[in-house]
Amino acid sequence: MNREPSVFVVDDDEAMRTSLKWLIESIGLRVLTFGSAEEFLAAYCPGRPGCLLVDVRMPGMSGLELQARLAKAELCLPVIVITGHGDVAMAVRAMKAGALDFIEKPFNDEALLGAIRRGLDRDATQRRQQLRRTDIAARLEQLTPREHEVMALVTDGKSNKEIAAALGVSAKTVEAHRARVMDKMQADSLADLVRMALLVAGPDA
Amino acid sequence: MKTFTVKPFLFRLLRPLPMPVIAILIGLLTGLAVWAVLDQVQGRMISKIANRELKTQLSLRSREGLIRFDRYVASYAATTRLLANHRRLAEHLDPIVWLPNEPFETRLYRDAKPAWLADSFARYELPTPSHILLLDGTGALREVYESRGQPLPGELTDKIRRQLTWPDGMRPLLVAVGGLPYLVIGDLIEDSEGFPMGTLVLAVPVDADFLTAAQQVIWPERVLVALVTGSTQRIVTSVDPETLPPGTHLKTWRRDYLITSQPLSQQETGGWDLHFTTFVSHASVDRMARHMRTFEWRQRGLTALIFILVFTAVIYLVSARLNRILKRMSRFAHRALGIAQPGFQRGNNQLLLLEDWIQQFTQLVLKARQELSRHYEHEMRETEALKAAIMEASLDSIVTIDGRGRIVDCNPTAERAFGLRRDRDIGQPFAVRSVAASDLPLFDGLLAESHRAQREGREPHVRGELAALRHDGTTMPVELSIVPIEVDDGTFYTLYMHDITERLEAEREIKSLARIANESPNPILRVAEAGRLVFANRASRPLLEAWGCAVGDRLPADWVAEVDQALVDGETHERETVLAGQVYALLFTPIRELGYVNIYGRDITAVRRAEQEARQHQAELVHVCRLSTLGEVATGMAHELNQPLSAIANFANGASRRLQGDLIEPQPLIQAMGQITTQAERASEIIRRLRALVAKQPPIRSAADLNAMVREVCSFVEFDVERLGIALHLEMAPGRILVNVDLVQIEQVLLNLVRNALDALADMPAAERRIAIRTRVTPDEAEVEIEDNGPGIEPTQMRRLFEPFYTTKDSGMGMGLPISRTILDDHDGRIWAESQPGAGTTFHVVLPVIATAERTTDSAT
Repeated sequence: MNREPSVFVVDDDEAMRTSLKWLIESIGLRVLTFGSAEEFLAAYCPGRPGCLLVDVRMPGMSGLELQARLAKAELCLPVIVITGHGDVAMAVRAMKAGALDFIEKPFNDEALLGAIRRGLDRDATQRRQQLRRTDIAARLEQLTPREHEVMALVTDGKSNKEIAAALGVSAKTVEAHRARVMDKMQADSLADLVRMALLVAGPDA
Repeated sequence: MKTFTVKPFLFRLLRPLPMPVIAILIGLLTGLAVWAVLDQVQGRMISKIANRELKTQLSLRSREGLIRFDRYVASYAATTRLLANHRRLAEHLDPIVWLPNEPFETRLYRDAKPAWLADSFARYELPTPSHILLLDGTGALREVYESRGQPLPGELTDKIRRQLTWPDGMRPLLVAVGGLPYLVIGDLIEDSEGFPMGTLVLAVPVDADFLTAAQQVIWPERVLVALVTGSTQRIVTSVDPETLPPGTHLKTWRRDYLITSQPLSQQETGGWDLHFTTFVSHASVDRMARHMRTFEWRQRGLTALIFILVFTAVIYLVSARLNRILKRMSRFAHRALGIAQPGFQRGNNQLLLLEDWIQQFTQLVLKARQELSRHYEHEMRETEALKAAIMEASLDSIVTIDGRGRIVDCNPTAERAFGLRRDRDIGQPFAVRSVAASDLPLFDGLLAESHRAQREGREPHVRGELAALRHDGTTMPVELSIVPIEVDDGTFYTLYMHDITERLEAEREIKSLARIANESPNPILRVAEAGRLVFANRASRPLLEAWGCAVGDRLPADWVAEVDQALVDGETHERETVLAGQVYALLFTPIRELGYVNIYGRDITAVRRAEQEARQHQAELVHVCRLSTLGEVATGMAHELNQPLSAIANFANGASRRLQGDLIEPQPLIQAMGQITTQAERASEIIRRLRALVAKQPPIRSAADLNAMVREVCSFVEFDVERLGIALHLEMAPGRILVNVDLVQIEQVLLNLVRNALDALADMPAAERRIAIRTRVTPDEAEVEIEDNGPGIEPTQMRRLFEPFYTTKDSGMGMGLPISRTILDDHDGRIWAESQPGAGTTFHVVLPVIATAERTTDSAT
């Protein structure tokens, strides 16, 4: 799969599509254009990195609807909305629905390109975090239930003695478990282990 | 029989006597009767008692006399003993020695009392004896005291001497001396050694004095005593010698006296047959009897008198009481029955009068009773005949059954219906053969209910419907009415059965007909006078819900007025109403003879909506047409310009970035440039089209009524106004306001303003949405004011309000107001807005009016 990020442009006006592709490619980014939201949904395979540039007003599925569809499918592709003059209300709605930014026609090219860059950065960060989370989750899978308990108590800030008392085993056993946990989780330090625990606990952390 | 003859006679006799007199008479008669009876019985009884009493008394008296006599004698004997043993006598005799054979001279004391005689007699109230003698041991008389001076009879001396020789010697003794009895008592005189010194003898003549003293006479008048010889029956001595001279025979006294004799003992008399005899004169006995009789007579009289008084009083009181009761009765009878009161005069016998009256009264009552019973019988016969006729002629089956359900009687209809025959089926059970088996419990229940109702004093007639069995076994629906009859023999029930086959069919028919109304898809209602809803079919439910009433309630007031109006006119009215978003056409059809109004409703919502929509479409079409001439198309095109311009900018920017970087490839750059050219041409094409559109068209002007235009515009938005529930208030200047305008353009302006107002109200609560449209006119200008109470316009927005492409709406182009201003400018008019944020917005449109003269001419036409 192509891991190089792309800019997906969805606009019903062909001139707009071509011109946007021309402009965005000028800063060396890969651009894929689609004539309608439906066309984009059909072509897009989830997990592909990049950001989405979409016109609010389109025949058929509008930009806002497309945004909603992506959110529903839990595809966290950053979305930049293009609005016409005076479509402030539309822009506001798009932002509320989680769009990264909105760009008014006719464009200021700096603003547009800046927004695209921010979108790609956001996408890259999200993807890294996602990757790490799946990685840690995979490591967590290897832990035995007792090791899970030990890990939960360790990341909670408990000392070996406290853990031994809580689990009803000897401090030595705890020490052994803890070593195994560090090993399996490939944690360099206790701080590292705590970070992993926080990361899998939730995306907010 | 005899009483019949006696009674009138008695009545005639008693009639004139007043009641008190009769009472007294009866009292007297009773008293006399008592008297007579007592006289007979009591007199005889009393004389018998008196005689017996007399005899007893006499025998008692005589015995008492005898006892007194004996005691008297005994007291003499005691005195003799006393004297014989007295000291004086002993002193006298002590010195004397009487030798038996020596001659001696009897010493006689005649005048003086001998010294040896103690004074004892007076002390015992005994008469001194006539003679007291001292005898020596041989019985020779030595000394004698003649107390009464009478010589001692020789006979007595002999007898004494003889007597004293008797072995028992000294006992009292009656001795006859010359026919007169003497009491002789002797006693031995002894000295201190017990040697006899002589004998002391007392001799007392038993004469009248003796007897008198002996008897100490109690009733000398009535009782006399005498001693009588037993053999000769002659009196020897008596207490009263003058009345009863001695020597007379008892026989001679029997006539005058009652005589009782008791013999004295032989020892006392010394063989002399003497009787102590008591004489009670007849006269005294008679007197006593007379006394008794008198006493008894008085008693009897008193008794009779008491009887008279008591009877008189009782009878008088009873009669008076009776009298009062009867008077009251007669008064009552007089009032109640009109029977004349008997004349109660004083001095007549009211009881008898009343008796007569009561007889009359009784006869009258009897007569009345006979009359009544005759009348009753007559009526009974008539009623019976009538009843029989009713029974015979009744179209209902009538069957009478007894308490056990057996037929007692039935009428011909019942015979026909149930195949009964009076001569055959009387006494047969009814229910089993004539009531359908399924309804038997119901039938029994109705009977029981009727019986119970009668027992509890309620209306006992019960009704019910059940299936009866005809004689051929088919069932027949009947209405059954049960009337229980309570008679002495028990309870009977009369069953009235009405064949309701036809009625049920008719009911079914009517019900099925009624269903037509109920099943109608259109509302059908019936309203009685005063607006009371009596029927509503199923389809009228939405109407009822909207009115908030149910069957039985009153309709809302204005509909009541409508109903009343229909009833008054007698004509069918049609009204339209909008209820809960539905439009109904209601046809009020009065039925005056029944006081009903039928309401036939039709839901014409769809029709009205179609009409409305057609109008709306038409209006929108007009609107679009008008806008497309100018604004709408211009706006759209202006928007379109954005596309090529943006594309041009993108191509240009992309090209310049490439050129700034080192990515200089001529081919793509040339293509981009070509694109720029294409897009620029596209833009110029759009602009050309726009210009052609905006290019001014020659103005069309005509005189038009501003009020009419406002109304027209209102009708365009009517549907939306209703949909949003907006209160649209029109306040028009009177008459017509003539303005010289392009009608279409001005309407477009107004429509645009009204639509803006509608849009401004979209976010307001439905109940608060208000729009007011006012027209005003001055001599020069006409003004339209469109006011909404929406959120208002911010001052910052206010400035840009009439700029092109400025809009606050999602779907707005921002061209409405600029175009409106352009149009107004063309018409030498003005348009402006006033707004207070939060309170609403008012748009003002001012147009010059056509000169007054022209206007008046116009309005005149």
